[in-house]
Amino acid sequence: MSAVLDLARVSVALPLGGFLSRARLPILMDVSLSVGRGESVALVGESGSGKTTLARAVMGLQAVSGGSIALDGQAVEGAAGHARLRRAAAMMFQDATASLSPRLTVGYLVTEPFRIHGVALPDPEGMARELLAKVGLPPAMARRYPHELSGGQARRVGVARALALKPRLVIADEPTAGLDVSVQAEVLNLMADLRAEMGLAYLIITHNLALVRHVADRVVVLYLGRVVEKGPTAQVFAAPAHPYTASLIAAEPRPDPRQRRMDLAIRGEVPSVLRRPSGCEFHTRCPMAREVCRVTAPDLAPVGAGRQARCHFADQRKDQQGEQHAVEHR
Amino acid sequence: MSVLSVEGLSVSYRVLGGRLQAVRDVTLAVGRGEVLGIMGESGCGKSTLAAAMIGLLPQGAEVAAGAIRLNGTDMLRLSGEEKRRLRGQRIAMVFQDPMTAFNPVLTIGRQLADFAGAHGGVKGAAEIAGMLERVGIPDPGRCLRRYPHELSGGMRQRVAIAAALLVRPDVLIADEPTTALDVTMEAQIIHLLRDLRSSFDGAIVVVTHHLGVIAELCDRVAVMYAGEVVEEAGVDALFRDPRHPYTRALLSCDPAVVMPGSGHLPTIGGRIPDLMALPAGCAFAARCGMAEAGCAAPVPRHQEAGRSVLCHRSAA
Repeated sequence: MSAVLDLARVSVALPLGGFLSRARLPILMDVSLSVGRGESVALVGESGSGKTTLARAVMGLQAVSGGSIALDGQAVEGAAGHARLRRAAAMMFQDATASLSPRLTVGYLVTEPFRIHGVALPDPEGMARELLAKVGLPPAMARRYPHELSGGQARRVGVARALALKPRLVIADEPTAGLDVSVQAEVLNLMADLRAEMGLAYLIITHNLALVRHVADRVVVLYLGRVVEKGPTAQVFAAPAHPYTASLIAAEPRPDPRQRRMDLAIRGEVPSVLRRPSGCEFHTRCPMAREVCRVTAPDLAPVGAGRQARCHFADQRKDQQGEQHAVEHR
Repeated sequence: MSVLSVEGLSVSYRVLGGRLQAVRDVTLAVGRGEVLGIMGESGCGKSTLAAAMIGLLPQGAEVAAGAIRLNGTDMLRLSGEEKRRLRGQRIAMVFQDPMTAFNPVLTIGRQLADFAGAHGGVKGAAEIAGMLERVGIPDPGRCLRRYPHELSGGMRQRVAIAAALLVRPDVLIADEPTTALDVTMEAQIIHLLRDLRSSFDGAIVVVTHHLGVIAELCDRVAVMYAGEVVEEAGVDALFRDPRHPYTRALLSCDPAVVMPGSGHLPTIGGRIPDLMALPAGCAFAARCGMAEAGCAAPVPRHQEAGRSVLCHRSAA
């Protein structure tokens, strides 16, 4: 069975500007990933890693310069292809309140996708009620305006709107950003329920690793527009094969004062895409970089079943972790 | 002795149809070299409390009772001019979004020089560059010539912290200082603030809803709910042995705490009460799993070694 969404070596390059200049700046390079039916895949990385550009490319909001995108095994090409994709996939935006037009009622907003896509809507009010019920909001909410909603309610309206046309895939950009922990838990539970009920697949873009651990079956880690590691979430978190993944996990603040980190897991910032480092692009921040890393760029290579990492030493590290694991469990 | 103390503070907002009680009878103190965390969900009053601490309450806010003492002086009794001077010299603030804290059309160097000049003595470029270096800006000279939009979010937050420290304040208040940042930058800012705690000899107050930031950074924690401090304790005691049911509920529903694969995450049912019509008894009772009839009566504050809990059933 074909995947709902399949990206094969997708690249995005932006023109550098300048009169007569043909120079282009690579933002995403050779990103391949697939999201199976009912599967949840997380895309993680720091700001500037290309996460949002990838989502925009999938939705047809950003032209790709290479590679291909397929929906249900069928290539997505041109305006018609993207129209088909936008009908089957829905987007949940990061700033839920800002994504809702302030002058429209919630009831109108959740049924707007029908109007946008020209789908018949015989009973708008009934549909609004149904959609609101699906995300756990009372029917009276339909008469409210976006400014009257709390952050969690706005997020639910965003979900209801995304669900309107019964999509098979939801692309969620930072679905829990800016929410209180109890509301985060509610949104995550809602996403899990909808997945079970409707067989929804998710592509989740986030830098919240706690969220990834809870909702993603597989995780794809981006650094400077390249996939540096991918694999099943539980395995990647238990034994990251790329030092960047390891640093991200270690940098996460833990809600346990007895586990404070006194050293810094990762220093510095993501380098500018205008000045990409030589060799392995992570070597400038990598705690275990060696000479070869400065010179030779590693390939994305398999490390065990279903896992890949772009590091010269991924195999060694995995073996070490395997041994440590064995020792700890002896 | 505490540098900053809040004593029985109540703040309300005049709104259409009545008064909204944002902060209710809050008492807190923070000493030199100490990091106090103020934790709670949106709408619990933590930002109003922070605004009151720095004397920047918005229009329409009224202090109904209480005092805020900075080195013993009640800031609420000062004139606007005196308050302004104090704010520049003794107490400084770092905001969630450092972009809005800077003027977009002036260079960082110009703004830091203006800022330092306005608040107690003109400082030389060397001293300003030194401060930038101290907060971990790699090339301070270059940074001074840049405009705010040319810096990353993490760098802007570092510059904002440097600006706050240039005036050598006694108290640094940081409102959600890492919320807008990536996890890697967040870790670095936490590291920086922890570092400063020991070197700058002032008090740091961190306001956040992020439990991880509280656990990584703070010495003492005040948990707010519906405008009240419902629990105050040392950070270890609070996370290991939370006494207030709200603190317990909050800690248990953090997705970072719950083991993956354990099915549904716990949540806190219900909503925070209407701050314009608060119950006479415990404000959390309606959402509390331990509530009983007695919880409708006014709540006594239960105090014991280094902690205080606002709950009828805290002994239970």
